[in-house]
Amino acid sequence: MANKIWTTVGTPEQRIDAVEKSTGKVRYVGDYSVPGLMHAKLVKSTQAHARITSIDTTEAWKIPGVRAVVTGEMFPFHIGPILADRPPLAFEKVRYYGEPVAIVVADHEHQAKLATTKVKVEYEPLPIVNSVQQAFQQDAPLVHENAGQYTKIIDNVYPKSGTNIGSHIKIRKGDFDSAWASCEETITANYSFNLSDHVALETRSTRVEINPAGKVIVHSCSQSPFTIKKVLNQFFNVDVGNILVHIPMVGGAFGGKGTVQLEPLAYLASKAVGGKLVKLEFDREEDMITGPCRIGLDATVQLGATKEGKLVAGKYTYLLDSGAYSDQAAGITRAAAIDCTGPYHIPNVWCDSYCIYTNHPFATSFRGYGHPELTFAVERTIDQLAKKLQIDPVQFRILNGIKPGHTSPTQTGLTANNIGDVEKCLNRARELIKWDEGQKIEIGKNKVRTKGISLFWKTSTTATNAQAGAILTFEADGSVNLNCAAIELGQGTKTVLGQILAEKLGMDMKKIHVTMETNTQYDPHQWRTVASSSTFLAGRAVISAAENAIAQLKKTASIVLQCTPEDLEVGGGRVFLTPDPTFGVEIKDIAIGYTYPSGHSIEGQVVGVGKHVQRHLTPMDEQTGFGKPGPWWSVGVQAVEVELNTRDFTYSILNAVTVLDGGTIINPMTATQQMRGGMYMGLSYATSEKFIFDHNGVVQNTGLRNYPVLRYGEQPAEYLVEFIETPAADGPFGARGIGEYGVIGAAACLANSLSVGTEVELTQLPLTPEVIWQAKKVEKQ
Amino acid sequence: MIAFDFNYIKPATVAEANQTYTMVHDQGDHAMYFSGGTEIITRARVNELKVDTVIDIKEIAECTVMEVQDDKLVIGAAMSLNHITNSNLFPLLGETIKKIADHTSRNKITIGGNINSELIYKESVLPLLLVDAKVKLVKGTKEKIVPLSSVFDKKLKVQAGELLLQVIIDTEYTKLPYASLKKTRFSKVGYPVISAAAIVKDKKIRIAFSGVCEYPFRSQEVENILNDSKKSVSERIEKAINSLPTNVLDDLQGSNEYRVFVLRNMLYDIMEEMGMGE
Repeated sequence: MANKIWTTVGTPEQRIDAVEKSTGKVRYVGDYSVPGLMHAKLVKSTQAHARITSIDTTEAWKIPGVRAVVTGEMFPFHIGPILADRPPLAFEKVRYYGEPVAIVVADHEHQAKLATTKVKVEYEPLPIVNSVQQAFQQDAPLVHENAGQYTKIIDNVYPKSGTNIGSHIKIRKGDFDSAWASCEETITANYSFNLSDHVALETRSTRVEINPAGKVIVHSCSQSPFTIKKVLNQFFNVDVGNILVHIPMVGGAFGGKGTVQLEPLAYLASKAVGGKLVKLEFDREEDMITGPCRIGLDATVQLGATKEGKLVAGKYTYLLDSGAYSDQAAGITRAAAIDCTGPYHIPNVWCDSYCIYTNHPFATSFRGYGHPELTFAVERTIDQLAKKLQIDPVQFRILNGIKPGHTSPTQTGLTANNIGDVEKCLNRARELIKWDEGQKIEIGKNKVRTKGISLFWKTSTTATNAQAGAILTFEADGSVNLNCAAIELGQGTKTVLGQILAEKLGMDMKKIHVTMETNTQYDPHQWRTVASSSTFLAGRAVISAAENAIAQLKKTASIVLQCTPEDLEVGGGRVFLTPDPTFGVEIKDIAIGYTYPSGHSIEGQVVGVGKHVQRHLTPMDEQTGFGKPGPWWSVGVQAVEVELNTRDFTYSILNAVTVLDGGTIINPMTATQQMRGGMYMGLSYATSEKFIFDHNGVVQNTGLRNYPVLRYGEQPAEYLVEFIETPAADGPFGARGIGEYGVIGAAACLANSLSVGTEVELTQLPLTPEVIWQAKKVEKQ
Repeated sequence: MIAFDFNYIKPATVAEANQTYTMVHDQGDHAMYFSGGTEIITRARVNELKVDTVIDIKEIAECTVMEVQDDKLVIGAAMSLNHITNSNLFPLLGETIKKIADHTSRNKITIGGNINSELIYKESVLPLLLVDAKVKLVKGTKEKIVPLSSVFDKKLKVQAGELLLQVIIDTEYTKLPYASLKKTRFSKVGYPVISAAAIVKDKKIRIAFSGVCEYPFRSQEVENILNDSKKSVSERIEKAINSLPTNVLDDLQGSNEYRVFVLRNMLYDIMEEMGMGE
């Protein structure tokens, strides 16, 4: 495979959804309406932590069109992907502002919405847990009284009753204490930032019905169709075979649509109206507050090195603000421990990563799964230590960058295949950002241009049995349908899978029809579309399906051409003799079986099936973290150049560089766009975004009026994206996952750049001029 | 989606608008004049506002004028911010309101709506206060033209049912040197940390602010201090900051102390720009 010149893989094929999307013709899940559709709206908590003393629905029932009101006591059970700690509807008490308390179902959306304002809920306020620092104290009020009693859904989650700890993951590698004592230069630094939101363009939406035969039919904008089945089976006792999940194209997800939140609510709503089709669609404000958001973090990083700048010891304490429920934050706690050091070779590592409950909206996966957050803390500390050691920040990173032969914090051995090339990435990024022209350049009165750099890595902590499947069917014209359950959420996965198939079959992309939607009844099982795993898992499944189809095509052709399958090759829409390519048969003549002039037919249609499952992944040891949690590490470098006004701390971003070792790049154009989009998102987060809580834990900026995101026109003046392509031996055509990576280093390199420009160590996000001004003021005092 | 039902009336004349308002009011219902609708729609959607009847004024001829009549510039209350900016009839006003919201919203937001905004910023008022603008108000059959400053105290003080028809400006003011500055939290689009507009007339600076206090204002005291040429510019600025009508605002856009920092820088910049710096 490696010495063949590829024709489709590696070329910038146009996205197969480009025309539909740019003409506005895509129908998302919320765009459908059918006669008889009912509408559900939520009553949400107005308190961040309170006992529910009564719920009075009398007035709500008086609104015309109201068909049902569902409250928490009708389903007083806990659900969750890792730890079952979250009731779909709050019962007994509420744990965050905006938490679903009741569902009203009505004939029309406006009726349901009006009725929600008539449900009277009385609360008895409880003490608020308003930060991870407060939650971590011994005598803190408890968000969950008995966290230790909740059912564990997967391994590696360790809740502690009587505390606000939802999980605690440990890394113990080498001997940190002795190593720390011997370090010639050390640094300890603390960082913190609040929870924030995904702000996907499409707000979350679902439709659920329970048909008279007992089948539960779910339409949703989810990254996890098979998890929806699992949740409805596990917690609602529906036979898994009786649950059908349909996912049309998704309008942006960024991890936020991995959580199964709306579907159980809509299921309860449908059940309350005799199984009728019920739609539940979040308004923007609900999507931001009631739906799960992005973690907050308090991080303390200690690094120790020799005088020459060799890192010797690292200690990392991560307090993740998971909000009211652990959801994926418990998994992010683990992921943050696994990659706690960043891509550095540190022989002695100690990490305590805690998933902390607070009375904030609950957090779930967000593009990068903890890595953008830990990278901010690690890379800021690396810069500060380099400064202390008087070593150039890029040189310091090259000196300590991780390489094949080293081990990860969980003591996974690294090889040339499972880790990218740190040094190559650093050197190329250094050239692109013109590092050697100077990190800080005065350009006028109160104006400087400064550069900052960030190294990063990530492995994908999939389930150890994470897998994907693919099915190929053929049309009479010889074109191919590709069905698999990878979700198209704007990342271009279906285009990339189409390219992999086209390459494997030696076929034009025009002859490949990729089904854009997903249906769990006819698409083979796929774990989830998260963790930058689809190119790898589904890509391998597509290759395997293509090989399966090729074998069938060759078999039919060998009969027609009176030879053996081994004599044949497939390509250009034909099956032909290797020694004499002019002697062959067209795929269209054999794809649905070959028919002789006599009418006799042989072999029938080709149906290609393929699958791929993760190999050799293991859970982690509870005491030391030892284990092999992910298949490979992609590494990369990001850098920005900013123009800063040193008088008022306003700034603009001039250049943004990403150099990523993503293995083989299947589609350089969509990959580049992923990096641009990632940086944009990371810089938006870094400059503008966070939830603001009052002292009662109530979110003050629940909508886009007061929750700014970076706007079009405020992006870096120029993006420079390049790839280093160190092939991953087991990836499809040598590819690794790249979906999340563009976002990971953005906040860190911006903060490094601004720290140089303002001459103050910045430790908080977002980096508004006010935050910088505040840091300068504190420093002066 | 707006959950409640309401009536939408689009009268063609002022008289009809007033009659409708009175009729709804007499029935004990709540009526509101409706112009661009950006606030009514967005606030109604999140249950912050309830109304029985909205009366759209965009078909009323007096509300949609924008022209110079003799030595007066007359701007109808229903003129959109973008229309006013693009006309270039009053550059300071055009520039100041161009910093409100985003382009798409400014196609909808009208000057009358912004003066009457429920939000605390109302930046279109700033230039109007500086140029002693007048407003034409109508209630029933009674029309009156009064100085804006006589009816604007923190917000537009009009009686129930009284409709703001027009803003009237002496054209001589539109040619004066001016400055318009706005600082936001980060994005160019957003509520002000501080927004300020200034002109110089007869060698004296006039200045009005939004984002400093809980309402937009022009202060004679602050202007007197800034025009006191016996003192150094920095002394004047410090004194002006200490002579604001209330404590400086402290909210999501910026803390009290940070706003003072931004205000100070902005005052230096405006004095400089207006040729009054050191």
